[in-house]
Amino acid sequence: MAHRTPTAPGTWSWFRAAPGSVDDQVIVTELYRVYGRPLLSFTLRLTGGDRHWAEDVVQETMIRAWRSAHRLDENAASLLPWLATVARRIVIDDRRRRSARPQEAGEGPLENLHAPDGLENMLRSVVVSEALLALSPAHREILNETYFRDRSVNEAAEALGIPVGTVKSRVYYALRALRVALEERGVTP
Amino acid sequence: MSAAVRHTDVAAYALGLLEEPDRRAFEGHLPACPACRHELADLRGLAAVLKELPSFTG
Repeated sequence: MAHRTPTAPGTWSWFRAAPGSVDDQVIVTELYRVYGRPLLSFTLRLTGGDRHWAEDVVQETMIRAWRSAHRLDENAASLLPWLATVARRIVIDDRRRRSARPQEAGEGPLENLHAPDGLENMLRSVVVSEALLALSPAHREILNETYFRDRSVNEAAEALGIPVGTVKSRVYYALRALRVALEERGVTP
Repeated sequence: MSAAVRHTDVAAYALGLLEEPDRRAFEGHLPACPACRHELADLRGLAAVLKELPSFTG
């Protein structure tokens, strides 16, 4: 996306660089610009697809992030893991509050999220999917025709009617683009 | 049968997309090419990230 400023590790320093000097609205806008979409995708899974609820959760999460700026790890490449943890906490609290029987009702869907590993993996797969979607159609296509269909470059070349060398170089440039897209989202593989 | 190895083959190699002759040719090329070895180390991390994806069918 042309308007997206590429972000390097340690990218959110704008967030706390100059307390008081940055307009609050700018901070919240910036939080939404960088993390809004991935956080919403992630939260939608927690709310079982309830978009309205998910948007409320994202908003509350952003407000808490803005309030907690001073407590966040300055060296973290991305705020996303922190934001996801907060969002998950809010969803769980919401469920408890809504539930007549807090111990039982509504526990099911959240059960497998209690393990931090599960959360991390889920979060990461959201980010990676987002990064794949951000690739150009040509880059995405070549990965679909090879890796995601479990085809060798030769098989893909035959299916697409193009030389093997072309498939190989497209895979190469697609991976480079993917790497950049992931780095922009705070994932450094 | 397999054409000359190109440096860009490293990506297909990292993802396991090369067929046997190309794969062996590329492995023959690796020891002599620090740039490809360096890039391969990078791309392996990326391949691992893709492998973690549950099931992406775009």
